[in-house]
Amino acid sequence: MASPITAKEKPSENPILFVARPMATAARQFAKSLIRPATIVYPYERLEDPTFRDRVAVASGRPIGVGHVWDNYRGVHALNIATCISCNLCAFSCPDLCIEMVTVPGGDPKHPKKCPEIDYGKCSYCGFCSDACPEGCLTMTTRYELSVARRAEMVYSPEKLYDVFRTKLPMNPIRVERPANEDAILLDPPLCIGCNACSRDCPTQCITMLDIPKPAAKPGEKQTKRIWKEPVINDSDCVRCGTCISVCPKECLFWGTRK
Amino acid sequence: MASATLYSVSDGLASALLHALGSVLPGPARAAVTNPNVIVGLAVLIFAVILLAASMLNTILLIWWERKLLGRFMDRRGAMHVGFAGLLQNFADGLKLFRKNTFQPQEADPLGFYTGPCAYMVTSLIIFGVLPISSGWNAGTLPLTLLLALAIFSFAPLFIFVSAWSSNNKYSLMGGMRSAAQMIAYEVPILLAVVAVILVAGSFNLTTIVYEQQNYWFWGPLVVALIVFVAGMLAEMERIPFDLPEAEAELVEGWNTEYGGMLFAFFMLADYLRALVGSILVVLLFLGGWTMPTWVPGALTSFPLAGIFWFMVKTYTVFGLFVWVRASLPRVRTDQLLRVGWNRMIPLSLLSIFLAAVLVTVKCLPLLGCVPGVGS
Repeated sequence: MASPITAKEKPSENPILFVARPMATAARQFAKSLIRPATIVYPYERLEDPTFRDRVAVASGRPIGVGHVWDNYRGVHALNIATCISCNLCAFSCPDLCIEMVTVPGGDPKHPKKCPEIDYGKCSYCGFCSDACPEGCLTMTTRYELSVARRAEMVYSPEKLYDVFRTKLPMNPIRVERPANEDAILLDPPLCIGCNACSRDCPTQCITMLDIPKPAAKPGEKQTKRIWKEPVINDSDCVRCGTCISVCPKECLFWGTRK
Repeated sequence: MASATLYSVSDGLASALLHALGSVLPGPARAAVTNPNVIVGLAVLIFAVILLAASMLNTILLIWWERKLLGRFMDRRGAMHVGFAGLLQNFADGLKLFRKNTFQPQEADPLGFYTGPCAYMVTSLIIFGVLPISSGWNAGTLPLTLLLALAIFSFAPLFIFVSAWSSNNKYSLMGGMRSAAQMIAYEVPILLAVVAVILVAGSFNLTTIVYEQQNYWFWGPLVVALIVFVAGMLAEMERIPFDLPEAEAELVEGWNTEYGGMLFAFFMLADYLRALVGSILVVLLFLGGWTMPTWVPGALTSFPLAGIFWFMVKTYTVFGLFVWVRASLPRVRTDQLLRVGWNRMIPLSLLSIFLAAVLVTVKCLPLLGCVPGVGS
């Protein structure tokens, strides 16, 4: 029956077969689905539920497409607040501008700790944020149920995302290796005034201010007023968040390839 | 056989009610209330209410039954969330339709637009007054109930046409036209097939026709008439594969395109009422009504209301057959429908009349079986 109709076996012109054949097919289908129809009664049965998979997919011998652990499924985010370094990279990478960094308790008063707050009304689940997260603290889980009664509930605060994290759902693999030829942050030394802003705001504390020799004053010229320090960036710790570039008052830090 | 009948139940209920009412009233009022004529009047009212409630309940159950069966035919489950196994889903749907706004197209004729659905509904409901459900459970012993039922049954396309015409919509009008053409093509073979039954049973009375089948159900000897009748009923009920008047793919919703809310619900309910009547007619004419063959154990046919139980089982099975046809066959074209109606059905039904005449004469035919002799 399933084979394509060739020129030899055309549909019968016999009116009795014309009625009987579809009815036989329908009866066979009816008998087959009397035991168990193909539909999954969703709120009561879930594909990701292992007991359901054992009972139905395995017991009936019927493969159910996507019933396995979806290790690349992009659902609701999980946020580990403890390891978040407030680098802003998730918010930078978001194409829908649905991530806003909000203050969470835990930071010092001068530099409050900021974690992503995600508006699922805008989110397109592209996963760029979790790819960009240098610490692997923002990942995507297999949770897909997002219906809420009010629009405001679609905005997930960092605490709510942390609750998702604590459910220990399967999560996307976390990027650990950094590309070898990644751009680094370079310094244009003559412009630097040694203000310490970059070192102060670096989320990973990979910038150290080192003393530089104070040049001898030329005769007749007034000594420049500046702090004789210069930032030195530890590339292996740097997460390339660009915070230092954005806080630098003299625009002396820039992206470039380190020789 | 159940001793209680529809008359006795409603009469007993009415007299009990009125006597209870009369016992707390002063003398003259009591005499007025317990007047036999008043009791009979109330009994008729209760009788009508029971009929209405039973027919509507069965119609809604029939929709549920179709949804569940069709679901299995399509490898799904059908309605299952509201109530047990989705039994209350149709009540929820009805409630939703009831709450909806009813509006009328600008150029529509209000008289036809509003009377059409109501008359369609009413004519479909009237038939239940003449259909016997079990021994004693019928509205009367009219001698021509079969003729009356078929006459009322074929009345409905007129109101379809009225409502289609007054909707002032080309799709509605096309659907109404198709409905009228379909009725003319299929009314004739149905009546001719029924003539075969009448010949064999020797009566126009549905109750008599059922009792004539106590030994042999008519579906065996009159199988040709049964096929013609079932096909004609499918066309009369406008179900797939003969649902041309409301072909969704081409005519939006056919003659009920312009209807919404409760008016649409009227059409929907009346459609299923007609489907119920069609199934009941098939059971009454060919499947022995509420009687069961003699080889069925007596315990299965002698419990209270056994007749109604078996009658309902048969009716729902026949409707299941209609659902099976609906799940299998595609919609036919208008020319195919008319050609089958005029070129195939009418000769077949004439053949069935001939076979019935032969059967009545010789009592038994090889392969087809026997029929009880008329007057013998």
